[in-house]
Amino acid sequence: MSEIKSESISSLVDNYSPSTDGSVSANLVDNMLKDEHLSSTWQTYHLIGDVLRDEVPQSLQLDLSKTISAAIALEATILSPNSSTQVFVQQDAKGNGSSSADNVHLPASSTVKNTHSVIDAISRFKTKVSSFVKPMGQVAIAASAAALMIVGVQNNVAENSFSVTPSQVVQTMPLIGYANPVSFSLQSPQGESNQQSQKILNEQLAAERAAQQRRLHALLKDHNQQVKLGSNIK
Amino acid sequence: MKFSALLLLLLSVNVSAIATDTESAMLWLEQLSKSLRQLNFTTSFVVVKNNHAEPYHWLHGISEDNQELEIFSRLNGPRRDILRQGDIISYIEPEQEPYSIISNNVKSPIPTILRGDISAIEENYRFISVGRSRVLGRVAQLVRIVAKDKYRYSYWLWLDKQTGLLLKMAILTRQGLLLEQIQFTHLEVSEKLSENLVQLQSSELPAVIKLNNQQKNKTFSWQVDWLPQGFAMIKSNQHQLNNYHQGDDKAVEFMLFSDGLVEISVYVSSSQETFRAPEYASDGATMIFNHIIQGIEVGVVGAIPLATAKKIAESIVAVTKVKVINNTQGVIREQ
Repeated sequence: MSEIKSESISSLVDNYSPSTDGSVSANLVDNMLKDEHLSSTWQTYHLIGDVLRDEVPQSLQLDLSKTISAAIALEATILSPNSSTQVFVQQDAKGNGSSSADNVHLPASSTVKNTHSVIDAISRFKTKVSSFVKPMGQVAIAASAAALMIVGVQNNVAENSFSVTPSQVVQTMPLIGYANPVSFSLQSPQGESNQQSQKILNEQLAAERAAQQRRLHALLKDHNQQVKLGSNIK
Repeated sequence: MKFSALLLLLLSVNVSAIATDTESAMLWLEQLSKSLRQLNFTTSFVVVKNNHAEPYHWLHGISEDNQELEIFSRLNGPRRDILRQGDIISYIEPEQEPYSIISNNVKSPIPTILRGDISAIEENYRFISVGRSRVLGRVAQLVRIVAKDKYRYSYWLWLDKQTGLLLKMAILTRQGLLLEQIQFTHLEVSEKLSENLVQLQSSELPAVIKLNNQQKNKTFSWQVDWLPQGFAMIKSNQHQLNNYHQGDDKAVEFMLFSDGLVEISVYVSSSQETFRAPEYASDGATMIFNHIIQGIEVGVVGAIPLATAKKIAESIVAVTKVKVINNTQGVIREQ
């Protein structure tokens, strides 16, 4: 009996059904799932086949399924058992406004909940993760937006105070009183008088910047002129 | 382990390859110099800097009496032309009356050294021939002029394989950041002189102005104590710096240095303010730096990195009576 079975397992491994109708092989699979000996035979045959085909991995994981289920069991114990329902309630409350993907996900996980402990653990793990990830993601987005704004403002300030665009450099007349970057960042809801002093400060800054432009521009122009004349060797 | 062995192998191959690369790069640059001096060509190029493009026409030719004729013409904005008949170079600019000078150095977007003897800058730059690519629809050879120290920029040249003429040029920082580039958009090499140059040949250029660069009797009160290796003084003088502001002109002591490829201007004057934080701007690769320290205003301008400009500006010292600077041919101490 067992010999016949192992033979039929062998043909199954080789992707060949021992009987013409699928029922026998289905029966065999059922048997194999129940019988530990048979399932280990199934594994061994696969290993033999791998060796023959020279497909053995470098490090031989003889029993992958055990380590996986152990890992799953380990992960399941990390989670607090009652949190899943709370999460569901929270998500339901938020669900109206949130994306449709969440709503689709919810009933599926709640029906699965009581059927199988491992799946339940996994789904709980998922919801747990998603409930963590969601606010984290929102914070991350907010943070990156803030970072972008800061970078943008810094760029703005840096550009205006240091690098001079070529048109400004090349222009003979200095530019006076153009838009000041400081006004953007500091025009917060403050007192009227504060804005007034800010305005004066801005004007001073603009004047200072114009003077700076003039100085740098004068240097560049003179440099270009001197280089032309400086090469007068003969 | 395997990787590092491979790296070693590659390195050892490279070391032997560098010598031949340099040699072929030299040959390419010599060819470029020769072509720029001897061919009749009509080209257009665009100078791209700070998100801004300036188009130019550039015509060059050799007349029957073996004189070089040349026209540079900026196409956008007010006219800015450079005309050349042999040694006479005329600048036509919106700011002033047209004038001519006698010189062998045309101050155009194309560095003068490229038409001269490239080996003059060998000490401070390495020449590397890199590889082929396609520029302006032609087969181009990429040659890099790489600064040997961190105080200057590097230049990449794409040269036409057929004629050796320039097809593209880029100025980059040591980190590979692109600062300025010149892209040729049209190139035509002909046997005959182009019509514009024939006209130039018969036209009379503005009067040549006399320059007294060498003010031998003047003593200078400031000197530059540090410059990157290879920079030598071309000239020095005292003149009024036009500040484009009512009555703001001021006298400056001026020194011009060059390493053969790049010019650096240094301006020194005393100021009423005792301190002003460094301020700078860049026009493409050209850095303009200015600060006041202890009542001395120093300006440095040139196609050099900011750190170099700053270091030069900070090295300004008063001339002591013992070390009187030699005006005609400045001897610069190097550290």
